[in-house]
Amino acid sequence: MYGSTNITEEDARRMNVSDEEPEKLLAFEDRIARGEKIEPGDWMPKEYRRQLLRMIEQHAHSEIVGALPEGTWITRAPNFRRKLALIAKVQDEIGHGQLLYSAAETLGKTREQMLEDLLNGKSKYSNVFNYPAKTWADIAVIGFLVDGAAIVNQVINSKGSYGPYCRALERICYEESFHLKQGHDNVVYLATGTKHQRAILQDAINRWYRPLLHFFGPPDKMSAHSEKLMKWKVKLASNDDMRNQFLDQYVPKILELDITFPDPNLRKNNDGIWEFSDPDWEEFKRVINGGGPCNAERLEVRRYAEEAGRWVRQALLNPQEKYQVPLA
Amino acid sequence: MNNNAVKELLYKMADDALIIGHRNSEWTGIGPMLEEDLAFSSIAQDKIGHALALYTILHDVLGEPHPDQLGFMRKEKDFHCCQYVEQPIGEYDFSLMRQFLFDNAELLRYEALTRSSFEPLAQLARKAKGEIKYHVMHGDTFMKQLGNGSEESQARLQSALNNSWHLALGIFENSEFEKELIQEGIFTGEEELKRKWLEKITPTLEAANLKLPATEENKIVYGGRKGSHSEFLTPLLNEMTEVVRTDIDAEW
Amino acid sequence: MSSLDPRVNRLDTKKVKDGELHTNSHLITWEVFHQEKRGKQVTHCGIVHASTPEIALVLAKEQFARRGKTTNLWVAKTTDIYTFSSEDEDIFETTPEKTFREPGAYKVRGRIEKFQKENKADV
Repeated sequence: MYGSTNITEEDARRMNVSDEEPEKLLAFEDRIARGEKIEPGDWMPKEYRRQLLRMIEQHAHSEIVGALPEGTWITRAPNFRRKLALIAKVQDEIGHGQLLYSAAETLGKTREQMLEDLLNGKSKYSNVFNYPAKTWADIAVIGFLVDGAAIVNQVINSKGSYGPYCRALERICYEESFHLKQGHDNVVYLATGTKHQRAILQDAINRWYRPLLHFFGPPDKMSAHSEKLMKWKVKLASNDDMRNQFLDQYVPKILELDITFPDPNLRKNNDGIWEFSDPDWEEFKRVINGGGPCNAERLEVRRYAEEAGRWVRQALLNPQEKYQVPLA
Repeated sequence: MNNNAVKELLYKMADDALIIGHRNSEWTGIGPMLEEDLAFSSIAQDKIGHALALYTILHDVLGEPHPDQLGFMRKEKDFHCCQYVEQPIGEYDFSLMRQFLFDNAELLRYEALTRSSFEPLAQLARKAKGEIKYHVMHGDTFMKQLGNGSEESQARLQSALNNSWHLALGIFENSEFEKELIQEGIFTGEEELKRKWLEKITPTLEAANLKLPATEENKIVYGGRKGSHSEFLTPLLNEMTEVVRTDIDAEW
Repeated sequence: MSSLDPRVNRLDTKKVKDGELHTNSHLITWEVFHQEKRGKQVTHCGIVHASTPEIALVLAKEQFARRGKTTNLWVAKTTDIYTFSSEDEDIFETTPEKTFREPGAYKVRGRIEKFQKENKADV
């Protein structure tokens, strides 16, 4: 699962390609315009490499950090079916992380460097994972709606221009369809269940509503725009378009269960555009900058995993073997 | 056929599988490297799947309660898992050693059971054998690599082995039905299993540069098969059933 | 740390909290190839980090074969795989023009019919 990458003003300014050889740049852009993919050995503008690497790396971090909120309930799933599904789902998130780190590695940064940057705060991950999973119903809501949002994002990104990222996303989207189904199944069981079950589901929806609106990033009118990234097919849809697609697909699936969203202004207007109350973009910024309820814990647990596992990785190390960037 | 003997065998196998699967799943998402996180999680899932399959035989063939009841609603004293599987995950060396020692025993147990006179169990054993073979391949490969890896990894594994040894031998605690199980061709018995297990793990541990600890009979941790458990099982069960206990009548 | 996750509460996170980060242990990468069915081609499916072929295979199995059908996996060190440079992609461009390699370039039905017609006329 994943949330959208945000281009900051500074990033947009840095998107400078004036020092690239014009002939190569033209051939590169022509290739993308023809719908062909870029492969790791190809010439590419430095900015393309940088932005893509940043995006895939953030996506990879989001997968392995995203395993933590759901992992919260891994030992407490209420029956065999849910227990197996939840373990398999959290496992998939780690698997997706593995695929994405591998795709990012082809751009020339090692997995270890990326993990280091995650832990020292240089590299971000999706904000949505900085919120706690307070009850079992959170697992249902994450599995259905956070994964649903992630699928909107990932299906769009899988049409991008970088071959290794597209290949990873194709496999990820296939596996996410299991996540979505089991998440929906879980939501439906709670919604059609006892009073207690409906109450914890409603409570979870109330708490996840805002983080879900934040998921696709700030509104287009607030975020720096990059024609270049669109042209290079690094970014393929605007934040608002993706958010609208998500609301369109998923809001009705919650409402049909007689569960509500905590927003009197949530509605679809006559143009097919969803309207909603301001979800407090200041909070979004606070959480991105480390001020969310679980930022510290997420990093502390990841740091533990890296540190506690170090002896295993080092014992496997063969100093005679030289690392080379993977091929595809 | 002696139903009590079969039930006893199925319960202890199922309980072992559920509890070790539950413990191993605690590593999912925080393993020592991404690829190993995946492998260890699959092993955990397979174990819980085996537990479910065994409880299902108990339910469908032998008239015991529903698998979810058996897994999530029994009291501690009704569990017949060995105390080894109840132990907390510790550091990765302990968990890996347990995976290696337990799964080698499991593979031999399931191999023997493919010839069981109790056909539902023989069928399950044939179906699960490939999965357990992979678990053993995983355990054996990591033992050899890490035992011959760094000084630290060798020392960690040796100390994990020393700490595990008398717990692991508790896997082979006799049930009160050993004679019936053997006579009726249901299972070859714990004594024979233990002998084969020692034969199987000894060369692997040697190749892994690890020394087999001396066995002191009076230190072997028995009791689990008779419902007597370590201090770790009750908290484990309380945690595992936390959600389901919030609303006993609900369908989850 | 007090977490909502009981697993996390059991971890001794303090032990590593103030330590320096040492994530820097590069394992080499192995390219993984997957065969879905007997009789099918073995195709590249991704990479794993590992030290030896044995570990690479054991780890590749759960990343690339935990769903669907698999009959075998192959692994090879990334450094042992040789490829053309992507700048040389144009060496493949001539192939489609070489019609003498294509079945469509061999159409003789017309010739046979012409021959048969002329043959008849001769008789």
